[in-house]
Amino acid sequence: MKGAPSQDMLIIPGPMDSVMPRSVGDLTLHLKQDLDQTPFVLLDCHDQSLWSSGRLLIEAGGTLYLLCKDGAVLRQKGRADGHFVRDLHDGPVRAALSDFPALRALTAIGRGLFETRALAALDDLQKTQVRGVVMTLMSDAGQVTIVALQNLRGYDRAYSRVIGALGNGAQKLGDDGVFRSLFPNHVTYRAKPDIAMTTDERAFDAARDIIATYLKVARQNEAGIVADIDTEFLHDYRVSLRRIRSVLSLFKGVFSEAQTATLKRAFSDLMAPTGRLRDLDVYILDRDNYFSMIPEELHVGARQLFDRFESERSQVLARLARHLRSRDYNRRMADLTEMFNGDKGVQPGPNAERGACEFACALIWKRYGKLCKLARSITPETPDEAVHELRILCKKLRYLMEFFAPLFDARSFRVVIRPLKKLQDNLGRFNDCSVQQQALMELVQTQTNTAGRIDARLGLAVGGLVAVLNQRQQAERARVIDNFRHFDGPDVRKMFRTLFHEKEG
Amino acid sequence: MRIIACYSNKGGVGKTATSVNLAHAYAQAGRRVLLCDLDPQGASGFYLRVKPSKKLTEARFFEDVKKFTNAIRASDFDGLDVLPANMTYRDFDIFLSRMRNKRSRLKKALNSVGGDYDVIVLDCPPNFSTLSENIFKAADVIVVPVIPTTLSERTFEQLVTFFDAHKLRKKKLHAFFSMVQRRKTLHQETMKAMSKLYRKRFLKACIPFASDIERMGQHRAPVSTFARRSAAASAYRALFEELEGQTD
Repeated sequence: MKGAPSQDMLIIPGPMDSVMPRSVGDLTLHLKQDLDQTPFVLLDCHDQSLWSSGRLLIEAGGTLYLLCKDGAVLRQKGRADGHFVRDLHDGPVRAALSDFPALRALTAIGRGLFETRALAALDDLQKTQVRGVVMTLMSDAGQVTIVALQNLRGYDRAYSRVIGALGNGAQKLGDDGVFRSLFPNHVTYRAKPDIAMTTDERAFDAARDIIATYLKVARQNEAGIVADIDTEFLHDYRVSLRRIRSVLSLFKGVFSEAQTATLKRAFSDLMAPTGRLRDLDVYILDRDNYFSMIPEELHVGARQLFDRFESERSQVLARLARHLRSRDYNRRMADLTEMFNGDKGVQPGPNAERGACEFACALIWKRYGKLCKLARSITPETPDEAVHELRILCKKLRYLMEFFAPLFDARSFRVVIRPLKKLQDNLGRFNDCSVQQQALMELVQTQTNTAGRIDARLGLAVGGLVAVLNQRQQAERARVIDNFRHFDGPDVRKMFRTLFHEKEG
Repeated sequence: MRIIACYSNKGGVGKTATSVNLAHAYAQAGRRVLLCDLDPQGASGFYLRVKPSKKLTEARFFEDVKKFTNAIRASDFDGLDVLPANMTYRDFDIFLSRMRNKRSRLKKALNSVGGDYDVIVLDCPPNFSTLSENIFKAADVIVVPVIPTTLSERTFEQLVTFFDAHKLRKKKLHAFFSMVQRRKTLHQETMKAMSKLYRKRFLKACIPFASDIERMGQHRAPVSTFARRSAAASAYRALFEELEGQTD
């Protein structure tokens, strides 16, 4: 409601009884038992994005409680642990989680006991002047009391008195301290952690830091892949490994030539067992889209197709999970982690001593030039291979820029990143369409018997899909030239020069 | 927005109890309700434990929109606010016309403090005056409690005559029998006669003479909150439902 009476959410370390006074001035604070101590699960995204946006999602006693920074306490019946937001029943909590990443499942971040009481600040006539809810979260490590207060119309003075009495030392939702006091051992996950970098840092140290960081990110995703919580764990795992591989290939001469080659092979080997699962994830995530692309008559065949994908996925996942749990894999990861975290083990190459900043500028400037040269040569007649090549150049440039982002002014950086991102999205869709067609054709090959025949319904479905995908691919391709023109505009060009080229001189 | 005036030109007929219970019933049904205590002897504020604000007795506070909105108090019940006013009729006049005018500063001020009201229940003072006439004009519905006695019969007749004389729309009048004691022959006979005489003016719902209604003064709360299953509570619910059915 527009301009609704104000609400506040106070977070006070300690148990309810010790933090709640009996009275505030001439107001008596009355607490009425609402929910007795019940086990709770604190739910969030793997990266705790709910918490950092000032929200707290609790599942207790078959009810979901969403506490919001603005003081609102939303409730709805149901369970959410391991569910996607779209799977929740309609209700205020689901509605308020509409910005939760669609591909992320709600996962348990911590557990403990939960208790709620209704709070009323009463005057001498027993009239409620301030209303609220008091909740206590108890974990093995500590207790936190959360007071959600509601300002009743006409009782502003009472409200500010109660806030004044309770608010001393209170923290806000989203404050790290609150979280730490309940779950001190929880490690916050960041898919793209900020890597501290100084302008006078050596290229060698920068490369080593980046690799060490992304090794850690990759490892943080292993459990989620094995438990099959959502598909983003594998995605993030692969992206981390890809970033490491791009450091190895882009930072030429920072590590010794022999070691670079060994490492490249090692990381390529780590990546290999994940490819098929990711492909299948992409298909299955896009299932509805596939069905909408083809007429209903072909849905029977498409269902067959997806049943195959599903059963293949469970096999591939089981294999990958075994791999990730294997002693050999864990030893390899532990060795690599030790190597990049310690001083020994990594052999410097001829460029090791160069300044990271200067090195980065040179690399980015060179990549940028290469990319523009290729992109400008693309016409509607150019073969698809050139467009694929452009996609890879864009990706490498983006990784490079993101690695060194801390060294540059964030706002200027955004100016160049935004059109690049748009171009990349476009190229990504182009590539997806192409890869999917290819994979469907391969599938037809494997399903064809010796006489060259295939199940008619499957064949029809694949045929329909390939036709639509091909059209989409062409449409995306047509957009590439436009998007590049935008990226190649004078503002972006000037910014690239200012950021990465003029410093050099 | 709908303005429901609770009016009787005779005192002690259960008017304030009706205002409070009706306002509460509307709020329970999910409406945003403002209950205005206009009767200097009225006690709707008292029934809801809302103390009158000092500012309210200041003359012409309606000229200051802020003072008006600040005077509104949330009751202990969701959606039910109280204006514990004891205002002059000049103020009230301004109030009614501003409530009717969508673009008035008053409406804007109400919107800014948490939305406008769906229903305004007026607990009116018991006399014929310029104020009454204005209420009759401004209200969408005028709810009139009538005790089924000879005296009340006469006062209701006066009210109808007043409507005729001032060319007011009698259709707005929704009378109902209040403080009914079924075992009294007089009550039964009066109800029969009046229902026949004013066939279209009387609602079917009757509020019995009940100790639960008297106990509102002790509990300082609507009947349904402390005697949910009582005859009185269901009678008020029936009154609300009948009004809802007619006025929607």
